[in-house]
Amino acid sequence: MSLLQVKGLGKVYNTKLGMRQCIALKNVNFEVIEGEFVAIMGASGSGKTTLLNILASLDKPTTGDVLLDGVSFSSIADRDLSEFRRKHLGFVFQDFNLLDTFSIKDNILLPLVLMQTPVREMEERLLPIVRQLGITQLLSKFPFEVSGGEKQRAAIARAVITDPRILLADEPTGALDSKSSASLLGQLTDLHQIGKTIVMVTHSAMAASYASRVLFISDGSLFSQLYRGEENNRAFFDRIVANLSILGGGDIA
Amino acid sequence: MHKFFYFKLALSNVRRNKITYLPYLVATAVMSGVFLLISGLLFSNGMTNTPGGETAKSIFAFGLVVYALFTFAFMLYINTFLIKRRKKEFGLYGILGLDKRHVGRVLLWENTFVIGGGLLCGTAIALVFGRLLFLILMKMIHTIPGSTFSISFRAYSLMFALFFLVFLVTSVSNIIRVHTASPIALLSSEKSGEKDKKGLLPLAIIGAILLGGAYYFAWTTEIPGLALGIFFPLAIAVIIATYLLFLCGSIVVLKLLRMKKSLYYQPDHFVTISGMFHRMRQNARGLATICILSTMLVVTVSGTLSLYLGSEQMTRSMYPFDAQVYVAESATQQQIVDYDATLNKIAEENHVTLSADRSKLITKLPEGEEYRRNNFVWEDSKFVEVPTLIFYDKSYRMDISGTTENCIAFVNAVRDQYSQSFSETPKLIVSDYYTAMEQGYGFYGGLLFLGAFFAVLFLAVAVLILYFKQVTEGYEDKERFEILQKVGMDDQQVKKTINSQVLWVFFLPLAATTLHMLFASKLMAWMLRLFMLYDWGLVLTCIVGTLLAFTLLYFIIYRVTARTYYRIVRR
Repeated sequence: MSLLQVKGLGKVYNTKLGMRQCIALKNVNFEVIEGEFVAIMGASGSGKTTLLNILASLDKPTTGDVLLDGVSFSSIADRDLSEFRRKHLGFVFQDFNLLDTFSIKDNILLPLVLMQTPVREMEERLLPIVRQLGITQLLSKFPFEVSGGEKQRAAIARAVITDPRILLADEPTGALDSKSSASLLGQLTDLHQIGKTIVMVTHSAMAASYASRVLFISDGSLFSQLYRGEENNRAFFDRIVANLSILGGGDIA
Repeated sequence: MHKFFYFKLALSNVRRNKITYLPYLVATAVMSGVFLLISGLLFSNGMTNTPGGETAKSIFAFGLVVYALFTFAFMLYINTFLIKRRKKEFGLYGILGLDKRHVGRVLLWENTFVIGGGLLCGTAIALVFGRLLFLILMKMIHTIPGSTFSISFRAYSLMFALFFLVFLVTSVSNIIRVHTASPIALLSSEKSGEKDKKGLLPLAIIGAILLGGAYYFAWTTEIPGLALGIFFPLAIAVIIATYLLFLCGSIVVLKLLRMKKSLYYQPDHFVTISGMFHRMRQNARGLATICILSTMLVVTVSGTLSLYLGSEQMTRSMYPFDAQVYVAESATQQQIVDYDATLNKIAEENHVTLSADRSKLITKLPEGEEYRRNNFVWEDSKFVEVPTLIFYDKSYRMDISGTTENCIAFVNAVRDQYSQSFSETPKLIVSDYYTAMEQGYGFYGGLLFLGAFFAVLFLAVAVLILYFKQVTEGYEDKERFEILQKVGMDDQQVKKTINSQVLWVFFLPLAATTLHMLFASKLMAWMLRLFMLYDWGLVLTCIVGTLLAFTLLYFIIYRVTARTYYRIVRR
């Protein structure tokens, strides 16, 4: 059953003076099935971040629509969007987006607090997640006291604590060194294995090789896609790199 | 390297960092200008030797000292704020191969340009603005005739001394900052957060005890002579306590709130409490300063206003009778009795009637003033029976009824007559209520003028601090609210928490000021008794009125500066 449906998505930005139009996306169609781990790859400026912002309901498409569990984004009123986002979507950003005024624990609990969850339930939900992500020791620390990898794990904990239908990640390894990247991607894979649906935008073939399917986007359109099948990371990585060289962009690392 | 290299680099740095350096320049200009104006006023001859003149002068001198300390602290605060924003640039210099020593030299030049330029502007502001303000206020209030505005050499040298110290301390601290940090640390320092400091609780408790003690003494001291003596120590205690409570007490309270989970983990409280942590850590100093400045402003304005409005009462209590005519000691009993008729005749010529009420001799004094009573105690030996008026203790005492002009004409006529009536040289002349009133208005008008002048200056400084606060908060909050929105907080909730935090920050100094004033009011009333002002109601009315006016003005200033904040946050 497809969880997320993207239908004929197009996005046109008007430049400040309104004279020139910039086409970020044109006629993008794809579906994401429940429990899939999809990576969207493309070079800088290919429109992948625009796409993710639209999937995150942070931005609105010029044409087309996005459906989550059959519910069209365009049918949701603006004032209900935040609640919808809070309940059904989880986010991980490249620059972590943790609030420096909150401890790690409070950062993770933030979405639950916004949903007015009882204190006891919050604690119950918190423990297994932080244990799985290995950040139990860091709960009382503040974001500036922990490393980038630890921050990103906290961000993942924050994204999944509401048990969202889908986890959206925007270049989650973009600000991390290779070792932290590998361990973070391992954790995303773990989440995938316990049944989470993940959509990750990246320009790194290394990161994409952890996914079960990779979509390639170029100049605002869907270019091609690769399924992992039964391959291991290594073999999948090689195929991704090969495909990228056809595309003529993207980073290997 | 070329000798002028650093000079040029510094000059172009100042030019390129206009946005950060302009406020620094403006701050230097305003702070130095205001300092020059206050010290200029203090050293001028505006304050004469009328009852309480010395008291007023010492209060203003105290104000100047406090202001100098503020200036110092505030300039350091602005400097740290600027340097923090530029650390990245210094890190880059290091990576590009510029020695730390050289970066230090560039910084020294930059500081010289900015503080030097600021002082020049400040002097110009003081001269132009001072004269203008002086003229405007002179029009509004009757002041001592012949007052002029000038700034003495002493004021200039004090200002230069103060800002040279500011220059030294800021330069040294900047150079140390650059020297002790590695380029990498400098590059990423803008992002570093704040840690919970230890030992806040004892400091907060000390602050609370100091404040409680100061309040207690202010409220219970009921001896006018002592009121002035304890005013300065109490003021210092309150200032220290205010800083301690804003800096440490606020954090302690927030920590307690955070510990109460059922309260903390509510959507509104959650974001507001943690936001307040950040705000108090960043701005507690600025807020405490605003609180102290506004308390000083309210004390000065309400005090001088009470004196001005109460000058009629004060004069009346010093001159229970409208006029008192002293008769030379050598005058005979008969001459004294005869003079009664002369006085009545002069009164008739000037269309006024004279009367005398014996009961007024034993002036009723307000409670707590018994020790002065003997000045007025009835002694039979000093009393001479005269036909219509009262003659007591070497002088005629009388009330005059008629139009004020006629009364003054009568007094002047008596003055002229006096030397003729008694052949000897008169020992003392006529002392009358009307002349005293005129002098009183002059003097207290002068004081009120000074008070208003101070108020304008304090307000200028408060605007500056508020502006800085808004700008710093704006830049920091912008990112924070973007994140909150991404995590799923809706626009309305975001706005609500912004507003509640902004309101807290706005009301905190104002509430503290009001509380300070509540406890200061009684002490102020006692101090004003030194000026012979006994009307507690009047003092209280003046305090409340000044507080209300100040609240309104503060609110307007806040709204204007808050616009800067919202502009930054929304961009």
